[in-house]
Amino acid sequence: MGDLLYLYGLIPTHEATHPLPSIKGFDGEHEIFMLPNDDVTAIVCHLDHTAYSEETISDKINNDMEWLQEKAFHHHETVQQLAQQFTIVPLKFCTLYKNEESLRETVEKNKVKLKETFELLDGNEEWNLKIYCDDEQIKQQVSESNPVIKAKREEISALPRGRQFFEKKKMDELINQELEDEKNRFCEDIHEKLKSVSLFGSIKKTWGKDVTGRKEKMAWNSVFLLPTSNVEQFLGNVEQYEGDFQEIGWKFEVSGPWPPYHFSSFS
Amino acid sequence: MQQHNPTSGRINVDPDNAEQGLAQLVLTVVELLRQIVERHAMRRVEGGTLTDEQVENLGVALMNLEEKMEELKDVFGLDAEDLNIDLGPLGNLL
Repeated sequence: MGDLLYLYGLIPTHEATHPLPSIKGFDGEHEIFMLPNDDVTAIVCHLDHTAYSEETISDKINNDMEWLQEKAFHHHETVQQLAQQFTIVPLKFCTLYKNEESLRETVEKNKVKLKETFELLDGNEEWNLKIYCDDEQIKQQVSESNPVIKAKREEISALPRGRQFFEKKKMDELINQELEDEKNRFCEDIHEKLKSVSLFGSIKKTWGKDVTGRKEKMAWNSVFLLPTSNVEQFLGNVEQYEGDFQEIGWKFEVSGPWPPYHFSSFS
Repeated sequence: MQQHNPTSGRINVDPDNAEQGLAQLVLTVVELLRQIVERHAMRRVEGGTLTDEQVENLGVALMNLEEKMEELKDVFGLDAEDLNIDLGPLGNLL
């Protein structure tokens, strides 16, 4: 058995006219190189099959945070650098092939789909939007402006103290429910508006505070595929939302362009 | 001296700081019980089998308990997020 192939991404062969920048591969020794196969060129590097067997890698991913961080960073940096030069279908972290033959076979099988994907991605960029909010601030607005809650509060204030306690608890639940509804309404509205300047928009899972390290909660996380010519307008719109809604507890965080991980799939 | 990490969801029983870790652990258990009692009481009240006087007494008692808990949290410098334990796949305790 020879070396394994680590696949970073696939690019259209007609764009592969200039040589790759000199980048060390996944093991920090072998250089990355192009492997053309008709219209699709794979960007890969060699990996020693004993040092990077499936078991070793999955063991490292699960147990060696430092290794994982370094390698994930390498993967991302490499793909990001390639994405600046080529239309690329980026691959997931640790996509390995046994040999050139098995890689060629998979590319061959997905030829039509890849061609469509290249056409879709050409001239477009992936951008990410995260919306954060101050729950307490939004909660206060909800509890002050919602007529149902307002009426309920007045009704409760006339009750004896003990009874009030239970009714307040029920009202808190109602406010929390309204808060979630309000957050979703707000974010969905922004998402729809931004979708109108993009080709596609897709909603992702929000991250917990332990991941973001921020004190505000993440209310929304979405990705957009934008024609390069619309990027400026997209960013302008987000800036405007920020200006309009920052005061009332909303924060917007936009990042990109990213390699189009969410708008290309290849396995 | 190591401070407890408010968002880690872990109880930090540091040897140099055992008091603080212990207080956090004890208050977490007390808070869990308090919330269970409160929910149970809510169900009883909703069930409609209690007299107005019973509801009133229960409400006042629970309100006092909640206030006491707030005081204790203040004394030990803990907030609501500290009184929780991450149970991994089961989610958070509270």
